[in-house]
Amino acid sequence: MARFVVRRLVGMVAVLFAVSVLTFLIFNVVPGSDPAVRMAGKNATPRLIESITEEWGFDESLPQQYLKMMEKVFSGDLISYEGRENVDERIVEGIPATVSLCIGAAVLWMFFGLLFGYLSAVRAGGWLDRGLTVFAVAGISMPTFLLAALFLNYLTYKAEIFPSSGYVGLTENPLEWAEHLILPWMTLAILNIGFYSRVLRSNMLDAMGEDYVRTARAKGLSERRVMTRHVTRNSLIPIVTLFGLDFGALLGGAIVIEGIFDVEGVGLYAYEALKNFDLPPIMAIVLFGAFFVVLFNALVDIAYAWLDPRIRLGSSAR
Amino acid sequence: MSEALLAVEGLRVAFATEGGTVRAVDGVSFELAAGEVLAIVGESGSGKSATAQAILGLNRSPNARIEGSARLGEVELIGASEEQLREVRGARVAMVFQDPMTSFNPVYRVGDQIAEAIRAHRPQVGRAEARRRAAELLGSVGIPDAERRAAAYPHEFSGGMRQRAMIAMALALDPEVLIADEPTTALDVTIQAQILELLAHLNRERNLATILITHDLGVVAEVADRVLVMHEGRIVERGTLEQVFYSPRDPYTRKLLDAVVRLDQAPPLRPPRAPEPLLELTDLVKHFPLRRGLLFEREVDRVRAVDGVSLTVNHGETLGLVGESGCGKTTLSRTALGLLEPTSGSVRFEGREIAGLSRREMRPLRREMQIVFQDPFASLNPRKRIGQIVGEPLRLQGVAKGGELRGQVRELLGRVGLRPEHYDRFPHEFSGGQRQRIGIARALALRPKLVVADEPVSALDVSIRAQILELLAELQEELGLTYVFVAHDIGVVRHVSDRIAVMHGGKIVEQGPADEVCERPRDPYTRELLAAVPIPDPREARARRQTVGSD
Amino acid sequence: MPPEPNAANGPAGAGPWRLAWRRLRRNRVALGFGALFVLIVAFSLAAPLWADHVAHTGPNATHTLQKVEVDGERREVVDREGRPLGPLWLGAGGEFFLGADGRLGRDEMVRLMYGGRTSLLVGFASAAITTVLATILALFAGYYRGLTDTVISRTLDVVWAFPVVLLSIALGVTLAVGGLDIGPLHLSGGSLWIPILIIGGVMVPYMARPIRGEVLSLREKEFVEAAEAQGAGPLRVMFVELLPNLASTIIVFFTLNIANNMLLEATLSFLGVGVQAPATSWGTMIGSGFELITSAPLLTFAPGTMILLTVLSVNVFGDGLRDALDPRARLRLEAHAGIPAGELLDPVEGGEGSGA
Repeated sequence: MARFVVRRLVGMVAVLFAVSVLTFLIFNVVPGSDPAVRMAGKNATPRLIESITEEWGFDESLPQQYLKMMEKVFSGDLISYEGRENVDERIVEGIPATVSLCIGAAVLWMFFGLLFGYLSAVRAGGWLDRGLTVFAVAGISMPTFLLAALFLNYLTYKAEIFPSSGYVGLTENPLEWAEHLILPWMTLAILNIGFYSRVLRSNMLDAMGEDYVRTARAKGLSERRVMTRHVTRNSLIPIVTLFGLDFGALLGGAIVIEGIFDVEGVGLYAYEALKNFDLPPIMAIVLFGAFFVVLFNALVDIAYAWLDPRIRLGSSAR
Repeated sequence: MSEALLAVEGLRVAFATEGGTVRAVDGVSFELAAGEVLAIVGESGSGKSATAQAILGLNRSPNARIEGSARLGEVELIGASEEQLREVRGARVAMVFQDPMTSFNPVYRVGDQIAEAIRAHRPQVGRAEARRRAAELLGSVGIPDAERRAAAYPHEFSGGMRQRAMIAMALALDPEVLIADEPTTALDVTIQAQILELLAHLNRERNLATILITHDLGVVAEVADRVLVMHEGRIVERGTLEQVFYSPRDPYTRKLLDAVVRLDQAPPLRPPRAPEPLLELTDLVKHFPLRRGLLFEREVDRVRAVDGVSLTVNHGETLGLVGESGCGKTTLSRTALGLLEPTSGSVRFEGREIAGLSRREMRPLRREMQIVFQDPFASLNPRKRIGQIVGEPLRLQGVAKGGELRGQVRELLGRVGLRPEHYDRFPHEFSGGQRQRIGIARALALRPKLVVADEPVSALDVSIRAQILELLAELQEELGLTYVFVAHDIGVVRHVSDRIAVMHGGKIVEQGPADEVCERPRDPYTRELLAAVPIPDPREARARRQTVGSD
Repeated sequence: MPPEPNAANGPAGAGPWRLAWRRLRRNRVALGFGALFVLIVAFSLAAPLWADHVAHTGPNATHTLQKVEVDGERREVVDREGRPLGPLWLGAGGEFFLGADGRLGRDEMVRLMYGGRTSLLVGFASAAITTVLATILALFAGYYRGLTDTVISRTLDVVWAFPVVLLSIALGVTLAVGGLDIGPLHLSGGSLWIPILIIGGVMVPYMARPIRGEVLSLREKEFVEAAEAQGAGPLRVMFVELLPNLASTIIVFFTLNIANNMLLEATLSFLGVGVQAPATSWGTMIGSGFELITSAPLLTFAPGTMILLTVLSVNVFGDGLRDALDPRARLRLEAHAGIPAGELLDPVEGGEGSGA
């Protein structure tokens, strides 16, 4: 296990490096035009372009450019020329809101997704299963902004049940914090509820046909015990990995959701930056986002390895 | 007359499948007396497993209909409620399944799974107590270091140990009946012998009534008291061990007994030939490196699959290559045919060195040597028609095309006992035996000199095996083929081979003329192997047990 | 030697494809949604017809200052406060069927149909690119293993490590404006190829990994060894032996990929980094319609619902396709579904026997 952890962490560092290089290539190398011009934004003066070129090293070799970029992003020194603000500071300000959004949505979708999946599997083929499947497929097919639009239009504007925008910190006022976030949470969660319920259902149906379930029954275990201790436990393990992937993908969804619901998080910042084609914040958010995902996935993999004794102990048949 | 422990009457099990209704069990009645070993013998599809599972209600499902009666003492099992069945399962009737690897839950410790069984029926037993009992049970079935083993996971056990653990779990609540469904089929022959011994021992010591389900008549002859023969869902023969083996009444039983290839049977006479080497292996070595490392994998160890083998195969003979799983025989045959690059050593075919030839150089040589594979299901591409499959080698080697190719393929199909009209069918439309015929036709398409038959009959039913072996022998006569016959069953190997080589741990431990190796083995492993092979003849089996017993 | 009795001695049975087709035919729900999808495609393809003969306008033609005749009354397309016309349905002979789309006064229905063409095109084309690339990479990685596999897999891992949306945004933002200029490849910023290539490329690892897994397991099967023993080279083994066995997986993935890609395109276009003006897609329509969500919700709901229906129908049909091609999944469902067993015990007809 220790060996596995070390390997995974080393691999992670390699991937982080590759990700940063890829980001660098995308932003600075791939497009045909002058990067300084793009970075300067709409109000570019020749002098600004010149100073950008120097600061970022666009007239130097690629490796040096890369180093300069990494330095700027991670040293807290990154400025958005368009918005005239320190990018890193603004990102840090937005973290609480985005974290609240993502974690809340994740809790919601895991709880309902797994619950529905379990119910579907246990009563497979019945009306509950069919109903939940319909719900799941609809959820997977629903574009987030359509749902958001529906919620906004009917629940917020027309019926005025929920506040339309803004973010209230958890520590300030928990009730309002939740109130402001409920619709964003639900919007983000619906897609994944559907997906996870189907994955769990499928894993459980697979597990139910496995030999060890037959053994469990033959031992005289109650159906309930067979389901919980054997079927469900084994079905949940692959979901751990899946969760890692999806939590990372949340960041993309957060951009849209925060933009629509006006939640002052990192996503909203990205949303606005995209509107203005303001490159430095986008670059920083993409890089930080990717880094976070890689880290998170490495942790998830390690958790998975710990859960599966075949990996934890290594196969050593004696 | 002692009252039957378990009485089954008119049992019927039918399933609804995509292809229609399948009557797996079609009116089965029998009795199991206390303390006896009842063997249910049948080929695949005979309904023997379905019968056993129906007794414990394990194959209940919405698309199954189960009728009839199975009384355990006063309790009627068919149609009983889940509550009632649960009380019986594990506590009064316990079951052991074929594949111990998949029958244990991989994420729980073995001891805990046994303890779970105990506590499911005796909730008053505490966790610590149950674990202690579990370790005790593991010890009682011959697992050394039981305390530590109980805390291990299933994948940390070897195949034989796992099966013992399964048996231990079945005994946890001291059941009256043990049903063992093909308990040794997935195990090596030497391990099989140990497990059978264990079952016999348990039967004697605990007076444990046992139903043993198997397709292997040798296994039956070793341990059974009474025998039921099943065919297509019905019992076609019943009687004591002696009755069924020596005076069978049903034609199917007789056919089955005849088809069984026996180790001690004198094999058909083979004309002597002057040895003329076709294939020569000299000090052949094939190692697979095991790589570990953080970023860049370095080799830390090697798997010595073939560890210095020297072998000669002469023109027109059949060399039998015998060994258990993991001994390296598959690697050896692939390396000898140039499908794997040897680590060192030489392979000479008709005097020409082929180790180290490039793929292009090997290509024309491929026409001279072919393989017949073991698994009739995996050896044919399910997406191609069999005409295509058999004709592929001809096409690849540019030997024929178009109408001429079709003609040759049809001829080949006919020669292996299939009909030319089968050209356009898909593999899934054929039975296992027919698929092997297709595989043989494919191997012969290029008129090779050497054919490696890699466990060609292991996956087939007993009655079909004889047919395929006969076909192979005929073709050898007709076409002057040389065979390397690879198998784990030394009885089959003896029957077909001129010379035999025994392989163990990557090395050839013994080789020589078939008769000599089988009757006067010199190597201890060979002797162990021969002693472990079950003899499908009760008297012989008993006799052997008595001589071996004095070791 | 008499052959064993079994189905092969009767009339020729069906190949695996025909069997799958039969199963699919029985799945009414999947077929229904498949038909819905076809309808949506037809709807979108009819865009030029509608534009020319019914609405008499194009997707980008603005009508801000014009007036339209409805039931004898003349109404402004966009009123003085900037509010656009609501849906006229057939009131003006089909013009402005769904109303006007904001201050620019464009015909929403026409835009919806043209938007459909773009969205569907991007969805299909990118899915095709993903599928072809993923299959080739997976085949090479899975067949050769060793160094080839390591290189391919590590590269895919890096792309895969990026959250899809973030990576697409990064690529979109840099390429959508300036265009792509690599060697012989010159694409202007507004070209549809840019979102197609971005989406197609970004999704490759998601398809390549599972296919590679299948290649790895298929590769161990004996029929592959048999081909090698006959002298078949790697390319032949990959494309003649392995590929047909991967076909069902690939087809199902392709279908589901279309759905995913359309959603991704919609998100990117909504954010402004997908399809660029003057092209219209359902995503861009939602993006521009959002401002008027309270006064003219139809501008958001119409394209949104179209996306939902399209993706839904593709997903359901794809599911049905998967069930048809992989019957094991189906049988499981049947085993638990309440098919009364009593109905089933009629005279055995065409039973395939119960075993090998």
